[in-house]
Amino acid sequence: MISRCLKRWAVPLAWLVLLLALATGGEWLEPLLRWSEPEARRVLYPQADLLTLLLRHLQVVAIASSLAVVIGVGAAILVTRPAGRDFLPLVAQVASMGQTFPPVAVLALAVPVLGFGTWPIIVALLLYGLLPIVRNTLAGLEGLDPGVEEAARGMGMGAAQRLWQVELPLAAPVILAGIRTSVTVNIATAALGATVGASNLGAPIIAGIVNGNTAYILQGALLIGLLALTVDSFFARLLSGRQ
Amino acid sequence: MIELKSVTKRFGSETAVDAISLTVNRGELCALVGTSGCGKSTTLRMINRLIEHDGGEIHIDGRPIREFDGRVLRRRIGYAIQSTGLFPHWSVARNIGLVPRLLKWPAARVNERVEELMALLGLPIEQFADKYPAQLSGGQAQRVGVARALAADPDILLMDEPFGALDPITREGLQVELHDLQARLQKTIVFVTHDMDEALALADRLVVMKAGRIVQQGSPLELLRAPADDFVASLLGGDDRGLKEAAITPVVERMRPLSPRLLPQARVAREATLHQALAVMFRERVERLAVVDDDDMPVGEISLRGIVGVARAEGRDR
Repeated sequence: MISRCLKRWAVPLAWLVLLLALATGGEWLEPLLRWSEPEARRVLYPQADLLTLLLRHLQVVAIASSLAVVIGVGAAILVTRPAGRDFLPLVAQVASMGQTFPPVAVLALAVPVLGFGTWPIIVALLLYGLLPIVRNTLAGLEGLDPGVEEAARGMGMGAAQRLWQVELPLAAPVILAGIRTSVTVNIATAALGATVGASNLGAPIIAGIVNGNTAYILQGALLIGLLALTVDSFFARLLSGRQ
Repeated sequence: MIELKSVTKRFGSETAVDAISLTVNRGELCALVGTSGCGKSTTLRMINRLIEHDGGEIHIDGRPIREFDGRVLRRRIGYAIQSTGLFPHWSVARNIGLVPRLLKWPAARVNERVEELMALLGLPIEQFADKYPAQLSGGQAQRVGVARALAADPDILLMDEPFGALDPITREGLQVELHDLQARLQKTIVFVTHDMDEALALADRLVVMKAGRIVQQGSPLELLRAPADDFVASLLGGDDRGLKEAAITPVVERMRPLSPRLLPQARVAREATLHQALAVMFRERVERLAVVDDDDMPVGEISLRGIVGVARAEGRDR
């Protein structure tokens, strides 16, 4: 049982191990990094900071994505109910606009209102991550077999029973796929937060750019890439496990 | 008992169902037939309030259906549809137990009822209970659909082309089963179909609809023998009507006792229809057949004249 479970989750776990190894003890990377930046005084970003930055990064993405899931899935459910159907085009359009708006611009606009720090990037990620969630939730709920809905009604299920027992479980794979896209994209985009003073994995990249240290940039980029891969492969497992 | 009194339904400016009146007695199977878009499905769906009627009244056992909450009403009425509408993420057993669970039956009673229904519809429990709808054949899925409709033991069953998507052999098998089931359970059934043979074989009462109105209603034999107009006649098969009548008349109805004459070689089963007897005569080039029971023992005979219905005249000649 345990070995089967381990086997199933082998790929995501492998990524996780690699990610943690890089975040906690990257000394073995020094020769490689030295090669990319032979002149610099230091090539290893202060390691103690990396783990903290990783956790902060995760925290920001988690907050922004949770909000996006609650708002996105909630809005999509509301506009697919008979009472909210009039708002369906509006919600679909607002969600699309959220994504056409560049996160950098959102940051620039949010800083004067929210100040420097973590909040501007959370707002930017929330807006940016909403579209895939809304779009997939709408597709999942609208794409249900009409015969199933007819039967659910015909058997005497109420609206809430149909939603929780039939519609959401059947739409779940499509909704999860949307959340997966949203979260993965947000992990990469969150690095922008470092430009407005949020401390996350964007920090080594910014520090690298400012100091002309390619090794710092590489470490930040590698960590973000690994984090995205880890989370994405967890989602992949979750999705394939359902079918 | 279901009563419709000048029931009307409009969709926008179009009148889908136009002041129809219809009574379906307890234990009766009423088939609604007609061309596509004649309002038969709409009529069916108004009975369990999946569609609300605009005018007239629908009563179930003497009470107007508007008195009931829609959900409560629908849990009391079985409903089976062509696409089965089984929940793909639920096992067969869970699908069948849906309405009893909605009615908050205790789990043990739900399980007991599910097992009872699976046995009734020929779905071995160990083989099917844990399967998912995607793993079933069309015929099996439809059985599960019917079992689900019967789960809370409703008095009324609404069936919207339940066998329409099945291959002819499976369809005929399920028709026979429904017929037997109905003989035992005596439900009040409203059955929508556009398969005329199906309607003739199953219905106690046949209701022909056209453009939202009832053109004619009566027993299958009444309609076959005296169609109200050309539309009904052509819907019932035009000149084939005679053969369709033969197809729903059992051989025993025209069978005579064995005569002293030599017994014919060609034979037909006692349960067969006149249609089948005619087919045997045509194939064997004979005008008389021996009627045999399950053990192939002759129990009577039937002649072409007997089938055509001049039996009495023939009898008097002797």
